[in-house]
Amino acid sequence: MKKGLHKIVILLIMALTGLASSCSDKPPLPKPDNPVLMVIFNHSVNGEPVVFDQMVYENLAGNPYLINEIQYFISEFTLHYSDGTVIEPVIWDPFHYVDTDLEQTRHWIIPDSLKQGTVDQVTFRLGICDALNASFMFVNPPERDMFWPEYLGGGYHYMKLNGKWEPASGNYPNLPFDFHVGRGQIYENEEIVSFVDNSMTITPAGEAFSLSNGDTTTVVITMQIENWFQNPHVYNHDVWGGYIMNNQEAMQIAVENSHDVFIISREELP
Amino acid sequence: MKTKQRLQWIILTILGIAFSCSEKPQPYEPTPYTLDIPDYFPTQVNIPEDNPLTEEGVELGRHLFYDGRLSGRTHRDSLMSCATCHIQSQGFDLGLGNERFPDGQPIGLSGVTPPHYPLPLINLIWNENGYLWNGMIHPSGPDQSKTRLEDLVWMGVVAPHEMAGDTNRTKKLIQSIDGYPALFEKAFGTNIVTMENINKAVAQFVRTLISSDAKFDRYMRGEEQLTTEELSGYVLFTTEEGADCFHCHGGAGNPLFTTHLFYNNGKDREFTGAFEDPRDRYHITNDPMDIGAYKATTLRNIALGGPYMHDGRFQTLDEVIDFYAHGLVWSEYINPLMHHIGTDGNQLLPWEKEHLKAFIATLMDTVFLNNPKFAPPVQFPDGTTFESQQ
Repeated sequence: MKKGLHKIVILLIMALTGLASSCSDKPPLPKPDNPVLMVIFNHSVNGEPVVFDQMVYENLAGNPYLINEIQYFISEFTLHYSDGTVIEPVIWDPFHYVDTDLEQTRHWIIPDSLKQGTVDQVTFRLGICDALNASFMFVNPPERDMFWPEYLGGGYHYMKLNGKWEPASGNYPNLPFDFHVGRGQIYENEEIVSFVDNSMTITPAGEAFSLSNGDTTTVVITMQIENWFQNPHVYNHDVWGGYIMNNQEAMQIAVENSHDVFIISREELP
Repeated sequence: MKTKQRLQWIILTILGIAFSCSEKPQPYEPTPYTLDIPDYFPTQVNIPEDNPLTEEGVELGRHLFYDGRLSGRTHRDSLMSCATCHIQSQGFDLGLGNERFPDGQPIGLSGVTPPHYPLPLINLIWNENGYLWNGMIHPSGPDQSKTRLEDLVWMGVVAPHEMAGDTNRTKKLIQSIDGYPALFEKAFGTNIVTMENINKAVAQFVRTLISSDAKFDRYMRGEEQLTTEELSGYVLFTTEEGADCFHCHGGAGNPLFTTHLFYNNGKDREFTGAFEDPRDRYHITNDPMDIGAYKATTLRNIALGGPYMHDGRFQTLDEVIDFYAHGLVWSEYINPLMHHIGTDGNQLLPWEKEHLKAFIATLMDTVFLNNPKFAPPVQFPDGTTFESQQ
């Protein structure tokens, strides 16, 4: 009788141990049902990753220049599928901030609301359109520090591209330039009479890519920095100087040169 | 008989339990500190998970912040506290004209001067980019024992250019002062004084030092209008062709009036040899663009007076405005945001300088400077007073 009880107890312990160990072997996490898209933001000059803080570049105007940092907003990120579907997946959290000083901002996972298929084209806005570009919507850094003064139209910088160039003449071997773009101003008799939405709709050149349910696809959007200063307009730092926030003519050049600044690819630059 | 004995034991046991329960200390239940985030201010605050703000912790911190015995000494001539150099009426900075340090240059209890001038303790609850002029006190900094606001407390105790003490002596002295153990009990659930709990309490108090009621804040809230001169100054402050202060010092969109970032603002040309500062930002990041770079300070209460800059080279706000107008010095390391360097400064006209100064004066927060919550306690827990230590 006692032996029988012992057997039952041992069997019970074995069963419980088995249950416990089977619980600790967690099954693999299920793959997400929808496709996942990861976007990496890169920055290049003349086809090579940008080397910061070194006076090794020259623009079409003949200005030797260096790049110190780039900060910008991406909004209205939209996928155009080959079947005609258009999805703007980040409609409820529509802004992504990229800062070359903050590595984590270079990676952006698009929320899981995509469908599988072939994406022929991506479009996005560089900056924030007037309807959404409201002052005080970012109270925390780093986005907060992109604020665009109320006097100049308010809202936020679309982009800050800071660097230095070697002027053709002057007292100093190099001077800073702040290629900052945001809401523009129209002046009459030195008074601001209206503002201009300078945000830029971008269609980066590149090949189609596929999204599959359960898979993460990574695409790389590269800013070709040199193109801000060429095509169709040659931008000359000696002409425009170190700052352009209240110079709509200079910002308009940025807008018109923006069309081929970005490319999209599946591979990162070496 | 046996039954009677059993009954006695049961009664004694019950009494024993009841008696021991009445001896138990009160449970540690500190009162959470209510933090009101002012309009337009950041919602992300820098409060470590292991040091939440509590009413009791803040109050203890206030006592320790002001008590000169934090230095581990009792002789009146050797007392030093945080408040020795961080004075409320000076925006928790040292300022000029101080009786002990009249030229604004503090001297430590060992007679050594600090490598840099003090920074004001204003709105540090929103500082995510490191403390001190070079931001070395940060999780990404070079010394993992110095990463938090809390660490600045013990650093101040031991630094030769500050209290020149040692933490054992400080905690023993604080432990021995009547009333302090009870305050630690309320704040941290133990009456044993530790340096870490001293650090935590002072840091809690410092995090409550919020300035958000300057004239400019009231203007932003629609409660008060700026004068024509002040508004003109604000336009100069926030335009590149004007003074262009806002990229580093904020504005309506950044009411802290600092980015808490680091810039070479064109003060010097030479940075090697005798001119090298081992405490600039470069010595933290090793990035050559950080040579000669220091934290942009908050401009709140900056109109109170100098000394200005990390080395206290300017005494008055006029001198600072003149420097940015005509005195910038070119070097390879000047920050790209200093785009007026090509003309040696922003070349403000005299009337523009006056308007800019008028705007900066709207950042004076007299409510902050006189807030009784930030003032010395009426008396320390042993009945002595802050005034008696002066």
